[in-house]
Amino acid sequence: MRTPAIAFALTLWAVLTLNFFLPRLLPGDPLHALFDRDTANYVADDALRARLAAYYGLDRPLGAQYVEYLLETVRGNLGWSIWLNRPVSQLILEHLPWTLLLTLSALALASLIGIGLGAEAGWRRGSRLDRVLVTLSIIATNAPVYVVGMFLLILFAARLDWFPLSGGRTPFARYDSPFAAAQDIAWHWILPATTLVLHLVGAKFLIVRNTMVSILGEDFMLMARAKGLREIRLKRAHALRNALLPFVAQLGAQMGMAITGTIFIETTFDYPGMGRLIFDAVAARDYPVIQGVFVVVALVVLTANLVADWINARLDPRVEVK
Amino acid sequence: MMRADETLFGGIVVALFVFVALFAPLLAPYDPHALVGKPVESPSAAHPLGTNDLGQDILSELIFGARISLIVALAASALTVALGLLIGGIAGYAGGWVDIVLMRSVDVLLTLPRLPLLILLAALLGAGLPQTIAIIALLFWPHTARVMRAQTQSLRQRGYVRMAQQFGGSTAYVLTRHIVPALAPLIAFEWVMAASRAVALEAGLAFLGIGDATAKSWGLMMRFALNFRGLLMGERWLWWLMPPALALTLLMLALTFIGVGLEKRWQPRLTRHV
Repeated sequence: MRTPAIAFALTLWAVLTLNFFLPRLLPGDPLHALFDRDTANYVADDALRARLAAYYGLDRPLGAQYVEYLLETVRGNLGWSIWLNRPVSQLILEHLPWTLLLTLSALALASLIGIGLGAEAGWRRGSRLDRVLVTLSIIATNAPVYVVGMFLLILFAARLDWFPLSGGRTPFARYDSPFAAAQDIAWHWILPATTLVLHLVGAKFLIVRNTMVSILGEDFMLMARAKGLREIRLKRAHALRNALLPFVAQLGAQMGMAITGTIFIETTFDYPGMGRLIFDAVAARDYPVIQGVFVVVALVVLTANLVADWINARLDPRVEVK
Repeated sequence: MMRADETLFGGIVVALFVFVALFAPLLAPYDPHALVGKPVESPSAAHPLGTNDLGQDILSELIFGARISLIVALAASALTVALGLLIGGIAGYAGGWVDIVLMRSVDVLLTLPRLPLLILLAALLGAGLPQTIAIIALLFWPHTARVMRAQTQSLRQRGYVRMAQQFGGSTAYVLTRHIVPALAPLIAFEWVMAASRAVALEAGLAFLGIGDATAKSWGLMMRFALNFRGLLMGERWLWWLMPPALALTLLMLALTFIGVGLEKRWQPRLTRHV
């Protein structure tokens, strides 16, 4: 079987290769307008056309361009934003912390809530509480995240005015202390984070709840019960502990879901993260930025997968660490 | 209460949407593209949901929007399931190196972050309904293929399938008579779940501004409403933003509930992956 590290490298390579070849597979190239006789921008001078192509490296063989692209990307050069006229890597460095703040905090919160409720619902399977929670989690997971976000925005920001309407912090604010800054950022964080938690918690709840239900029928549970252990110990130490394994195994996949949700949420709340960056880049047709975001998001998701694999191997001795 | 009623509830709601989509020209009071009133009118007898910033009738937009969501749902989910069934079925039935190569590729595709890739593809391919459908299917078949492969592999080893093979049934015969019919409940489940995802993604892309800018979809309606300055100051969002948002949510949840009901009926013991 393949090891997580090989899978990581292979997928990253697939991401970079896709990123390189996708634009080139499609008709036209970056200098199309200058090289096509039918356009107003056509450059009539043969020598000038050749110099332009050479300047952008487009006269070299595809293989050489590909190798150069891979090397540059590994060095951290993600290209140049056409729209903002700045290095893409710099733009991403400005936006990534916001996305990580939102995604990681929401993942942690959703995990805590999902484990707590999932353990309880699974333990009391078939009860009224269980049925209500299962239905609610199906609705929360499957309702479009931007609709949920919009609803919270209208209710708590526009109507009740409890929270700010948009942004990651107050524009042009000058903070007297780091504490004031943290308070302002937390204030802006609450609504987008709540939306993301609602989006993520259902899937986590269902995993824990369903594993819990199947574990309750295992022989070792009967054994533990026969030993006369107390309910709380049965639930926490025996059932929940084992129910957490599939949950951890799913953490990597959840990162992908969280990132997808974040992109929509950041657009809804005008939150200054990667989602906002890609949204603006799409509006401006700023391809290098879209591609850069794709690579970095892939890197984040892949790293999360790797970490989840590692945690899983440490928790479950049956999973081999290679 | 949570019995097979879910499928019934979901089925009725989806049927209602299909009805609205089919008879949109008869049901809608106006052509959704026609400028039939003053901009941003409040609801009145002539315009039950008012008009948008261009003076188009919002109710008519909403009714015609059902067509786009349903076309994308149907086409993208059919393509997703067909591709997934084909690749997953081949991998599961053939086994050996075919299985290994196909499933390793599927694993790589599954780890790619889908929404950024979707945005990149949509931005590169240009925005149109066929492109949106193709991209959604391209990104979601690997998941379906995994599920189909697992089930095919287990079916292949069952007694009656091996019996059919040993009595000289050709591969085509075994596949069409035994494997595909046995996969039917799974196909149905995957289909409705894929449809629900497709509805969300189409609207999501339009919402992000990468969909077809001429197709009046619910996602695009929400985008235009949100772009309107001062939308949230008055009551306007109630009849402009909420109707497409609610229609979208209702359609997605109805499809999901059909799926949940189907899964329960098919595997009553399991109330797993939703």
